[in-house]
Amino acid sequence: MSDELLSEEFEETPTPTGPLGGSSPQQNFVSRYGSKAGGALGPVITTIFAFLMAGIAVAVVGKNPLKVYRSIFDGTGLNFFAHFGSYSIRLPFSTQHVWFWWDTSSIAAMNLQQTLLITTPIILTAVALGFAFRCGLFNIGGQGQYLVGAYFSVWIGTSFVNLNPFLHVLACLVIGSLAGAFYAGIAGLLKATVGAHEVITTIMLNWTAIWVGEWLFGQQGPLQNTSQPAIPISNTIADGAKLPIFWGPKLLQGLSIGIFISVGMLVVYWVVINRTTLGFEVRAVGFNPEAARYGGVSVARNYFLAMAISGLFAGLAGALDITGWEYQIGQLDIPVSQVGFIGLAAALLGRNTAVGIGFASLLFGALINGTSGRQLDPSVFSPDLAGNLTTIIQGLVILFVGLNLTTLVSGGVFRRRRRAT
Amino acid sequence: MAEAPILALEGITKRFPGVLANDHIDFDLMPGEVHALLGENGAGKSTLMNILYGLYTPDEGRILLHGNPIDLGSTKAAIEHGIGMVHQHFMLIPVMTVAENIVLASEPRHAGVMLDYSAADRRVTELSTRYGLAVDPDARIDRITVGQQQRVEILKALYRGAEILVLDEPTAVLTPQEAQELFEIIRSLKEQGKSIIFISHKLHEVLEIADRITTLRRGKIVGTVPAAGATEEGLARMMVGREVLLRIDKTVPKPGEPLLEVEDLVVYDDRGLESVRGVTFTVHGGEIVGLAGVDANGQAELIDALTGLRHASSGRVVLDGREITHATARDVLDSGMGHIPEDRHRRGLVLPFSLTENLGLHAYRQEPNSRFGFLNLGKMLDRARRLLAEFDVRGGTPDTPAGALSGGNQQKVVLAREIDSEPKVLIAAQPTRGLDVGAIEFVHRRLVEQRDAGRAVFLISLELEEILSLSDRILVIFEGQIVQEFPPTATEEELGLAMTGGKRDAA
Amino acid sequence: MTALTGRIGHIDWRGPKVVGIVGIALGVLAFWIVLPPVTTRSPLLSILIGILAIFAGIWSVSRDEKRIGFGAVAAGLAGIFFGVLATYSSTTNLSAVVVWSSLIAATLRYATPLIYAAIGGLYCERSGVVNVALEGMLLTGAFFGIWTIIWAHSWAGSWAWVIGLTGAALAGMALATIHAVWSISLKVDQIITGTALNFLALGITGYIFIDKYGSSGTPGNITDYGIPDIHLNFLQNWYFIGPILGQLNLMIWLSWVLLIGTYFFVFRTPYGLRLRSVGEHPRAADTVGISVYKVRYVAVIASGGIAALGGAYLSIGFVHSFNENMTQGIGFIGLAALVFGKWRPMMTYAATLLFGFCSALADRLPTAYGDQWGTLFQALPYVLTIIAVAGLIGRSVGPAAAGRPYDKQ
Repeated sequence: MSDELLSEEFEETPTPTGPLGGSSPQQNFVSRYGSKAGGALGPVITTIFAFLMAGIAVAVVGKNPLKVYRSIFDGTGLNFFAHFGSYSIRLPFSTQHVWFWWDTSSIAAMNLQQTLLITTPIILTAVALGFAFRCGLFNIGGQGQYLVGAYFSVWIGTSFVNLNPFLHVLACLVIGSLAGAFYAGIAGLLKATVGAHEVITTIMLNWTAIWVGEWLFGQQGPLQNTSQPAIPISNTIADGAKLPIFWGPKLLQGLSIGIFISVGMLVVYWVVINRTTLGFEVRAVGFNPEAARYGGVSVARNYFLAMAISGLFAGLAGALDITGWEYQIGQLDIPVSQVGFIGLAAALLGRNTAVGIGFASLLFGALINGTSGRQLDPSVFSPDLAGNLTTIIQGLVILFVGLNLTTLVSGGVFRRRRRAT
Repeated sequence: MAEAPILALEGITKRFPGVLANDHIDFDLMPGEVHALLGENGAGKSTLMNILYGLYTPDEGRILLHGNPIDLGSTKAAIEHGIGMVHQHFMLIPVMTVAENIVLASEPRHAGVMLDYSAADRRVTELSTRYGLAVDPDARIDRITVGQQQRVEILKALYRGAEILVLDEPTAVLTPQEAQELFEIIRSLKEQGKSIIFISHKLHEVLEIADRITTLRRGKIVGTVPAAGATEEGLARMMVGREVLLRIDKTVPKPGEPLLEVEDLVVYDDRGLESVRGVTFTVHGGEIVGLAGVDANGQAELIDALTGLRHASSGRVVLDGREITHATARDVLDSGMGHIPEDRHRRGLVLPFSLTENLGLHAYRQEPNSRFGFLNLGKMLDRARRLLAEFDVRGGTPDTPAGALSGGNQQKVVLAREIDSEPKVLIAAQPTRGLDVGAIEFVHRRLVEQRDAGRAVFLISLELEEILSLSDRILVIFEGQIVQEFPPTATEEELGLAMTGGKRDAA
Repeated sequence: MTALTGRIGHIDWRGPKVVGIVGIALGVLAFWIVLPPVTTRSPLLSILIGILAIFAGIWSVSRDEKRIGFGAVAAGLAGIFFGVLATYSSTTNLSAVVVWSSLIAATLRYATPLIYAAIGGLYCERSGVVNVALEGMLLTGAFFGIWTIIWAHSWAGSWAWVIGLTGAALAGMALATIHAVWSISLKVDQIITGTALNFLALGITGYIFIDKYGSSGTPGNITDYGIPDIHLNFLQNWYFIGPILGQLNLMIWLSWVLLIGTYFFVFRTPYGLRLRSVGEHPRAADTVGISVYKVRYVAVIASGGIAALGGAYLSIGFVHSFNENMTQGIGFIGLAALVFGKWRPMMTYAATLLFGFCSALADRLPTAYGDQWGTLFQALPYVLTIIAVAGLIGRSVGPAAAGRPYDKQ
């Protein structure tokens, strides 16, 4: 079985071993998108380039790109950090006030809360992609795993209303994560046992999740709300199942502690990948499954584990969105949700490193918030247009981040190369 | 030989970064002649032939066809000039039929745009009867034998009107019977006026089939001699450039306990064919046992089965008294097997990994390198520093990716990793493939050291000189069976005969 | 042709293959007899026929015809399940849903964009380039089709649809050109590029759509000058066939031309042989003088054009309007059909019909049974495809070199 599994990973051509040995046979996509070579420069150039291109699109419809970008930036709340002063802050979960640099109740602060709320799941779906990626798997199914995590979280959150609040929210998160893990595990298992390509299976699982969601929360669906049969939306989860909000007004969607869980998972990701035997195996399999196998590592087991763990992160993203922000699922929101795919863009832009994913997720979270109808002044730029602009920027980022820009400039790729084998 | 050569290469030079692959090579081919190109791996034979087939452009020199200089910028041009190549790794599409493979890119048509399958079948049958190459035009490539696939490759070239055929190591994948059949085919092609370049590093084959033999060493022509009157000894001297092949100083072996016992092992290959057919042997501590054989006679499957990478269908493998027949690869390694795999790029190393990580590829799970599932990078680094110094790995620090090292240093890393785990049994598969002389000596010395330290060393090699210079006992594998055992004093001729299935009942 | 006739000439009517196929047919029959117009009301007959199908399946599995055999077993089980289910439903409800002629006509309408997407994908993947950007190509075709048809309407009148189709194809080819450059020349991972293109297509079409048509949407009169339907008046009164074929959109007819053309092109012409060889073993193709890059470029760009035609059908032949992200995963069902059909034109077509039928059924079920039952049918194509790649009903394996950039050496 494992031979069949491996055969598709390799070129049939023998690798160069003699003194003429030229290119590395292991230049696969894992090293291409996961290398630290060049550091942050490539992604930064890519980002600037994408914004420049998008700026042209803004100019084409007769708006001033600089003004538009300025307005988007103000909407992200990132200008919060620019205004120093002398303010006080209430320590979370206490009545104590202490001195603080920034004004935590300004408009910018509220915008920043929104940005961070949006960033929370993006970090996790990006980590999900990154983890599988490190194992040589392209988990394009983060969206489906995110949705399944959210479904289970809503189901637990709207049931068991008398449960202890701490246990209830914990159950929402744990079951949501496990659901995501299970869902991704299907693809992992198929990859590990019959070698079914994970890209095909996870794409199919994404759409399965969407339609199952439409069924669950649609009219007369099993999880549709009990009070208004005409509205295809779930019940709101019990108060006990909601994550505590530590910054901003509760009624206006303040920031929940989900962001800490999310950032914490970023740390977990870094530790697992770089400091554990599991991460060591996953990376070895990702770079060279054959060598890993010769080193006694079970490739199939790692494929399964990497997918399941990947799904765990994506499922948690869904659960955090429910317990910390949305509190319910509307049928109409399901097909338009893009969190999993934005995570994909963030992971690629962050080159699958923990720090990179953190910054890239914040960038996309800010961009989405800044271009949302809630933040962007329609007189400056139509939010409908801006939303599409965000999508274009995501596309450009994914398109260009895989290129080694220096080789592009030198034109090396188009030249005919004759190398020794 | 009074007539003009059909093909002449003049002063061909080809450089690759750091290597002079072909150095002013002159080579000619007479009509209706079999001209053998002899040389060790890495001597520059393949580069030369790739130039001839339009895959590489030479830096200097010119190619003359019937006395006229030609420009071979692409394979297409080579084909148009009547040059056909039978690649060592067949260029056949497994899911297509024989006929489809043969006519590809110059298909017979009807109505201008439709592929005329019946004409294709007809042409193939016609060609195969004319040259005595029996194939079924409608059979799928992945359902026919390797020997038949090779015939398809030859037909492919003939179909394109090849007058000159280049056969690149054609016998490497064949059984001796198939090789004999191939020689028959070559003779018949010759009779029909085709000129053939026969590339090989097997002396007896070259002597059997060639009219003239040109020897290549390190990118240079050593000489061209008529096959009539040439001897294996003389050719070997030309090929390797020294009378006495690599010899290593070693003491008399002191065999101890049997550490690796293999009993009646049967293993199937990927295609489901019985590839190891009841192999029995023992390797004692303190001795090096060499396994000689032509490539693809079951060596790869045997190694895989010994190391837990492939399931053995029957038989037993016992490592120091412990049965490991059905153990996983990890269990096998843990119970004291060291394995220097055949291809360090694909199997031995994770090239983007640092040297520290590569050196820790087995040891990462053991204390003190890791504890409770967490890696101790400090300890791994210490270990890497120690091993890099001990094995004299040059060109990198512990943080250097393995891919940045030279081949010899890469192999030292593999060796360091496997030897440091203090295995009871060390399996070394082609441990010096593609290495320079200095690195070869280093590897050989280390292997002998392991033997002297009381370990059982099982050496698998396609290079007879390596087998002869290192082994204390020599086993010969042929078609998945150990056909004979030899003392280290055996000659190449004796081994060669056994390797090709001759004298199977002797000894 | 010899191969084809040879295959037909050698049918063993009592062989496991034939028995298996009969089994599958019996499974379908088990369900069919409880539906209008037959509408058997007793579940017994369904169960009996279903069991026969299962036996036929088991028999052919035992004779080593696993794929078809298991198919027959599955068909038998499904026939019994749905057959029994249907007998519990009222005849009125059944008649409301199962109107064969309109179901089939709807199936054709739903299958058509899938065919274009899948055939487009077929060319691309057969050449060894994975195409997950079919969705984006479809969407691009849908938008640029409607944009150019509106633009052309003022001067081309009732022939504006020709311009619309051309515009759609060109836009799809432009998008595919990016895919080609990235995947073939720059050797970037094909799946990542495809994903990026889906984003780009979504963003660009949405952006221009909002800018041009804003909240009011595309003009309502496209119905008047969209891709015309073909009225076959002489057919109108034929029983059963009339309602199905009498008034079909031109693009549906064209899709059949495309399908048959593709079959012949891929399996009966030298160019098809070269296309397949490049997708299976590019180095082998290269050594006989085929330019791998050229074949791949042509295939990928053609793929974009063809998929975009499917999008154009959707916007200017079917619904006559455009919405942001209007394809809603149709491109991915097309991809699923391609995988399900094992990269072969006729089997892929069968898959698009099956998936189209799922959509048609999903559309009609709510008329009698409430909204929810249709929705799950929408998920069926994806689930079936997962089962197909998992190998439960005959392992689906694509072209060997798909996904790998070719490095000429």
